[in-house]
Amino acid sequence: MTLFFRRLVRRPLTLFGLVLVGLHLLVALVAPWITPYDPLKLLDAPLEPPTEAYWLGTDELGRDFFSRLLLGGQISIIAAACAGLIAAIGGGLLGLASAYHRGLFDDVVSRLVEMKLSIPSILLVSLFVTGFGQSLAVLVLTMGLIYMMGVIRTSRAMGLVILEQGYVKAAQLRGESSFAIILREMLPNILDLLTVEFALRTSSALLLVSALSFLGLGVSPPTPDWGLMIQSGLQSIRSEPWLVLAPSLCISSLVIGINFATEGVAGLLGLEAARGATGK
Amino acid sequence: MLIAALRRVLLSCITLVMLTVFIFIATEIMPGDALDVSLSADEIAMIPPERLAKMKQDLGLDRPAPERLLSFLGGVLTLDFGKTLISKTPVTAIIGYPLRNSLILAGAVLLLAIPLALTIGIAAAVWQGRAIDNIASTGAIIGYSIPEFVIGTVLVMIFAVAWPVFPATITASTNDAALTLLAASPLAVVTVLIGSIAYLARLLRTGMVDALAKDFVERLRLTGIPEWRIVFLHALPAAIVPSLTAMALYAAALVSGIVVVELVFAYPGLGQELVRGVTRREVHVVQAIALCSAALVVALNFLADMAILALDPRTRRA
Amino acid sequence: MQQASNPIIECSGLSIGYADMLGKVARVVDEVSFRLGPGQSMGIVGESGSGKSTLARALLGYLRGGGRFDGGRLLVDGIEITSTTFTSIRSLRGLRVAMVPQNPLASLTYHMPVGRQVEEVLRSRRGLVRVEAERRVVELFAEMGLPHPETIGRRYPHQLSGGQRQRVVIAAALACDPALLVLDEPTTALDKTTEAQVLELIQHMRVARGAALVLVTHDLNVVADVCERVLVMKEGRIVEQGLVSAVFRQPEDTYTQTLLGASLDLSGAAPSVNAGLKPLVSVQDLTFRYQQSGWFGPKNSTGKPTLDGVNLSLGRGEVLGVIGESGSGKTTLGLVLAGLIAAEKGVLMLEEQSIAMLAGKRQPALRRRIQTVFQDPLSSLNPRQTVATAIMRPLRHFFGMNSKSAREKAASLLADLGLGPEFLERYPRQLSGGQQQRVAIARAFAAEPDVLICDEITSALDASVAGQVLGELDALRQKHGTSVILITHDLAVIWRMASRVMVLKDGLVIETGATADVFAAPKDAYTANLLSSASRVRRLGQDTTLIEEPLAHAV
Repeated sequence: MTLFFRRLVRRPLTLFGLVLVGLHLLVALVAPWITPYDPLKLLDAPLEPPTEAYWLGTDELGRDFFSRLLLGGQISIIAAACAGLIAAIGGGLLGLASAYHRGLFDDVVSRLVEMKLSIPSILLVSLFVTGFGQSLAVLVLTMGLIYMMGVIRTSRAMGLVILEQGYVKAAQLRGESSFAIILREMLPNILDLLTVEFALRTSSALLLVSALSFLGLGVSPPTPDWGLMIQSGLQSIRSEPWLVLAPSLCISSLVIGINFATEGVAGLLGLEAARGATGK
Repeated sequence: MLIAALRRVLLSCITLVMLTVFIFIATEIMPGDALDVSLSADEIAMIPPERLAKMKQDLGLDRPAPERLLSFLGGVLTLDFGKTLISKTPVTAIIGYPLRNSLILAGAVLLLAIPLALTIGIAAAVWQGRAIDNIASTGAIIGYSIPEFVIGTVLVMIFAVAWPVFPATITASTNDAALTLLAASPLAVVTVLIGSIAYLARLLRTGMVDALAKDFVERLRLTGIPEWRIVFLHALPAAIVPSLTAMALYAAALVSGIVVVELVFAYPGLGQELVRGVTRREVHVVQAIALCSAALVVALNFLADMAILALDPRTRRA
Repeated sequence: MQQASNPIIECSGLSIGYADMLGKVARVVDEVSFRLGPGQSMGIVGESGSGKSTLARALLGYLRGGGRFDGGRLLVDGIEITSTTFTSIRSLRGLRVAMVPQNPLASLTYHMPVGRQVEEVLRSRRGLVRVEAERRVVELFAEMGLPHPETIGRRYPHQLSGGQRQRVVIAAALACDPALLVLDEPTTALDKTTEAQVLELIQHMRVARGAALVLVTHDLNVVADVCERVLVMKEGRIVEQGLVSAVFRQPEDTYTQTLLGASLDLSGAAPSVNAGLKPLVSVQDLTFRYQQSGWFGPKNSTGKPTLDGVNLSLGRGEVLGVIGESGSGKTTLGLVLAGLIAAEKGVLMLEEQSIAMLAGKRQPALRRRIQTVFQDPLSSLNPRQTVATAIMRPLRHFFGMNSKSAREKAASLLADLGLGPEFLERYPRQLSGGQQQRVAIARAFAAEPDVLICDEITSALDASVAGQVLGELDALRQKHGTSVILITHDLAVIWRMASRVMVLKDGLVIETGATADVFAAPKDAYTANLLSSASRVRRLGQDTTLIEEPLAHAV
């Protein structure tokens, strides 16, 4: 473990990424207590330039932009992390089960995974939003399912390798149940992979949520959200460019931070293979 | 070889049929039917029950789901995706030109992204650990970490607002000629291109690094074969094969990127129609667009499989 | 043994180091000195990690990533490798010094026909035009004894057999008539029959071309076959060098003695057969085929069976050795007996009662009575579980022991294998290979089995460690009265442990009998071949009529 940290220190980009993510999480956590104004309250004239009272001016409805910026990541981060968690846990268990049982179960799961990979995520969300209506719960579940497919693939591949190991064979020969073998012998050995997958899928989900909000299919107004803020800021891009730039910087730095950190940590854990298999 | 190719044709067809079924299920088996979904609760309350039943009958919504699925599949085979619920326009007419336009955009991106990504990926792998690799690898992470709509708006700010060389939004109309459309949308192409290059270059670099670590490369080096021959004739084909297997993922990401970028630049493509379709809850339009993009992904994946067959003789055994 | 002409290799005090991720340099080759005259042949032997492969690659001026010369001099064909430019090193490679690497399949470009790969060497290194190169390739292929030399070049590597691939690689190496040929474990990936043919080819080529030869291997028998001189390496240092006949007959270094001791020595006595044992396990007509799942159409079950009508019986407390080359079906036999895969036909009996094929379908008591120790010690232990968890698991599963007594029992099992209680809390990665295998053995004995199946349990271990582990296993076996089925390719292990032996080839039982009888007078030519190839070192050691002067002709 100490060796792990000593190597970590030698990777400045990884450290930089971890610091960025830490800062973002901290801000998202304490934002409700440090915002100068109520983010939903119409305070002043719309599109005020930055002043001492309003550090970043006011938005198109006259709300304090700085307060909204501080809170603009909360919903996306929570939604993305939930989706990442669903994907990592569900995908890990299904992937291992699929590797363990082979046969029909494996065929069905593999076919489903392949099919999902053929539908672009934005379209899949659109389909479900059309079918179920637009709500955050639908969004989180859909994203969780989408990214679960990728996790199933990587953990199934790793599960097939683990299945060939002597300790799994020994457990099978003892007559342990498949449930016990998957949970006790196999799962602990893919925890590293699942941690990395969680981070990767969360960053993908962040990108997707913000893109959907931007398209008007994600977080609904008046909730402050970076994607939405960029969308509405486009109208005044010539006069108040910071209304677009500030949230752009926020969302980008968060995703960059996660990806730098994951890249480095995955490398240190010897999980390069897992990275190649992830898409946007 | 032929059998292996035919097998992949068949597999692609099976996948397409399953996707069609899946799209139908995702949108129509869910609570409520297409009409309930496209009308709000208030609207439904306003319509007398008899008329609602009549509307459903007209739309064929009163028939059992399996029957509707069959007629949906039949419609897809004849490229008939039905009509919109409200205005009764054939869906094919709505998505025809936008589909062409999105394909133009995708084609332009692919045409530019593949050679550029190859160059960057190979260079980064050959000079692994050197400055060029560090810049390329770090750049790639940044490249695909920034959402397309952010890249797009920043490009607009720079090249349309601060230094107005390009228009901020695309003024070309839906049925303009391909070249007119492309000439009007350089910023849109560049926006999708950045993400694509980042993704592909990284994939190729990984493949190339793995290929260069192979035993046969060591044997060639120990035989004194010139490095350029090793890189281009021996390692490159071996690097492209694993990258091609990730093609489905890339194709899906490409379509997602195009949808967003079309909205940023008001490009008259499928993305626009998709968002309009979802917000107006035009089930048939969303179905048709989902199917088109899925078919595109399946087609690209099929091409990738064919390329693998050509590059890797071991896969040719049926 | 000074030669009049200049030596082809002159190496004095050479050191090579590798930098790890934190920048620490570890010496892999440590102050090595030797010389080799033109046309001479030398074997470099040592176990994995001894630095022998690094040294071999250094002869071509090639160091793997992170490696660097750390002092000393190395002259190859008059060129100072340690201080020259890359251009002059490249002028050596392929032309003056050529390499035959270990794994022929991985060493050939999979997406290029083999003919073109040899052609490339001739065209790019010798500047031959296409037609000339093509003609030369056919000649080379014919010289290498490849079938259909005119057309075989159009095939891809995966379409050739292992021996054919290695012949192609050797053809590529010899294409430019090098003065020195370096071979890194050239026969490790091949079976015994093919190994003999390839070694014969190498020997023949050396004499015909007059090239000097450096052969890196862990197998002393190969050195005995091909080389005049030998260099024994351990942890980067040379512990002994000299003429093969001298070193193998009277090894001065204790390490060389251990290596030689691990080779087949028939001077002692094999364990004797205890006649009149009641059979504990008996197997009749066991046939197994790996299913090839067809994509369309039914599963293919017409392929060659991996096990073909195998019969065996194992007496109580007896050790039965199963030998055969890779691909003979011996590992599959172990898996079927253990109950991991089901044979398509045959009867498995324990104490005259028929038992189910798959472990999952056997009674728990039956599962307990048959235990297995696997080949790779690291993979047989769960990296996320401590030694205590691993050994306690069967105790709790089969005997329902509580945590405390299971722990005590685990500690006593470890003690039987020479490991103290401090090992209980360690994780597999913190143990050496020998310690890992001891834990795996302890886990198997925790179930108090009647039958223990051991599949190549020492092949991943160093010779000295393997000897100790076998000794401890033997003691435990005798203490518990356990019957053992010992699957191995190593005849020395059989001679030491097994009272009876069974020889497998292509899934068929070739012969069965008391070890002493079979080894003294094998009935089958295949068995005789296995025995003779394993005892080349010994024969060399006993043969006093060997030439003292190397063949130094045709230079």
